[in-house]
Amino acid sequence: MSDNWVLTSSPDAKTDPVFVGVGEIPSGKYPDRSFIGDLTEVAIRALHDASMSPNDVDTILLIPNLHSSDDQADLIFSRMVEELGLSGKAKSSMMLHSGGSTSDNAVRVASGLISSGHAQTILVLQCERWGSADVQEMITMLSKNGIPGEWELPSGLQFNAIGALITQRYMHDTNSSPEEMASVCVTLRKWANLNPNAMYYEKPLTIEKVLGSRMVADPLHAMECPMLADGAAAFVMTSAENARNRGLDTAVRIAGSGGCVSHYSIGQETNLSKLGWKTAAERAYGQSGWQPSDADFAQIYDSYAAVTAIALEGMRIAPEGEGARWVAAGNGDPGGTFPINTNGGLLSAGHTGVGGGLALLIEGVRQLLWRAEPERQIEECKRCLIGGSGGSYMDAQILMLERINYDG
Amino acid sequence: MAENLPKIVREYREALLQGSLVVQRCEDCGTLNMYPRYRCPQCQSDKLGWQTASGRGTLHSYTVLRLGAPDGFEQDIPYALGVVKLDEGAQLLVRLSPDADGGWDGYHCDVSVSFVAEPPGQNSERPCAWFALAEDLRG
Repeated sequence: MSDNWVLTSSPDAKTDPVFVGVGEIPSGKYPDRSFIGDLTEVAIRALHDASMSPNDVDTILLIPNLHSSDDQADLIFSRMVEELGLSGKAKSSMMLHSGGSTSDNAVRVASGLISSGHAQTILVLQCERWGSADVQEMITMLSKNGIPGEWELPSGLQFNAIGALITQRYMHDTNSSPEEMASVCVTLRKWANLNPNAMYYEKPLTIEKVLGSRMVADPLHAMECPMLADGAAAFVMTSAENARNRGLDTAVRIAGSGGCVSHYSIGQETNLSKLGWKTAAERAYGQSGWQPSDADFAQIYDSYAAVTAIALEGMRIAPEGEGARWVAAGNGDPGGTFPINTNGGLLSAGHTGVGGGLALLIEGVRQLLWRAEPERQIEECKRCLIGGSGGSYMDAQILMLERINYDG
Repeated sequence: MAENLPKIVREYREALLQGSLVVQRCEDCGTLNMYPRYRCPQCQSDKLGWQTASGRGTLHSYTVLRLGAPDGFEQDIPYALGVVKLDEGAQLLVRLSPDADGGWDGYHCDVSVSFVAEPPGQNSERPCAWFALAEDLRG
C-alpha cells in the first residue's frame, strides 16, 4: 500500500470542497439551554455566517453527543431536518463518530460527498450537554469508552488515568518539568481570556495555581484536566462553484490531510510519548503543496498538555522532545511566533465532548475567514494546521486548511 | 464469573484465578498477542493457544489514580495502573501493587516489574494482572 496518494481536488475545481461559515454558542455550564435548541441556534448562526439559509442545505452531517443516548437517537432519526424546515427537501441526514477526531473525519466525509457530486451544501452540527450532566454518570461512561471491556475495564482504568499514562511517559522521555507542562494550560488560558465563547473567558490562570491544585492522577493536577462543558458548534461546507455563484469572495479549502490510527487500547500503544502524529504528519504534508513552516497557526487537540506537546513535535511545529518547552517559551501565546488553539482549546474553552475537536476546527476556519474577535484575530493569516485526536488517543488526524479568495 | 464469556476471555481469566499470567500465542506464525485476539492480527490464523508469561517486564508508564474512580472502584482509591512491556515482547495494562513503603514512590518509567499472583477473591471480581517492583519481590 502506498502511504501517500494525491489529493484529487484543486483550488480551480468546480467541486473543490470549501468551508463558508461557522457558528458557535458559549461553552460552560448552561442548565437553562436545551439540546435541540442549541443545535438549531448554531445551525442558523453558521448558515448566516455563510450568507445562507436552511433551504440552501441538502445534507446534514451530525456529530454525536456523549451525554444521552436518547438525544443521540433524535439526531440519528433526522430530527434536525424537521427542526430546520427541511422535510422533503433534505437529501440525507446522518451521523458520524470517531470520538474527539469526529470533526476532522466529518470534514473528510463532507469533502468526499461534495467533490464527487453526492452533495452540494453540507451542514455539520454538534451539541454537548456535559456541563449540566451528572458528573459520576459521565465518569463511569467515560471509563468504558475507548477501553476494552474484557481486558482493561477490570483494572479500574479511566480517562484521566489514560491522560496521565501519556503525560508520565512524555515527561520521562523529554525531561519536561511540571512547570513546563503547566505552562501549556496557562498559554491556553491566555487565549480563552480573549474568547467570549470560552468557559474560562473571565478567569486568568498561573503556573502556581495549576501546580497548587489537587493531584488527580499522577502527574496530572486537577487544573491540568479538562472541565466538562455544555456547548454547541456548526460549520457549512459547499462546492467552490456554489460559493462563487453565491457571490462569496472568501472561503477556506483543504490543502491536504493525513491520519494515523495507532492503537485502540492504551495498554497496546508501544510509544506513549509519540503516538501516531509523525506518521499522520508525513501523510498530510506529502499530500500538500505546503509545509508546517508555511502555516500561520495551529489548532491541536488538547485534553491534556502532553497530548498537544506530542502533536506539536510529531507535526514538526516544535523540535522533537521540545513540545512543552516550546510552549513554555511563549511561542504559542497571543503575540507569539506561532499561535496555538486560539479559542482556548478544550482545557480552557471547555471540554464539550466530541465537540472539543470541532471547537478547535471551527476556530481555525473562523481565523482564516478573518472573522475572529479583533483581540485574538491573527492578522492576515492564510494557513492553519488542525490536529485532532480523542478517546484513548488512538488516532492522530491532521487537516491542512488554507484561505482562498475568489475574484469577481 | 459472568456467563457466556468468549472462550479466550474465560481461559485467560481462569489462568489468572490460578495465579498464572498467560499470553496468547499464534500456533501458525508464533506471534504473541496481548490482549488476546479472536484471530491472529499478524497472519489471521485461528489456531491460537497459550503460553505462560515470563512474568517479567519493564514499566512503560504508570499513574496513581487519586480522584474520580469509576463505579465499583471507590474503595480502591488511591490505586496505581501501569503499562508493562513483557520481556517476551507483548505488552498489557496492569494494576501495580504498592511498593515496600506502602505507596508508589518506588515506581518510575522503565523500572523492572514482575507479575504477582493476587488472592483469587480479588481476581474473580475484577480479573486483571497485578505487577510489583521486581526488587521488592526479590527482597
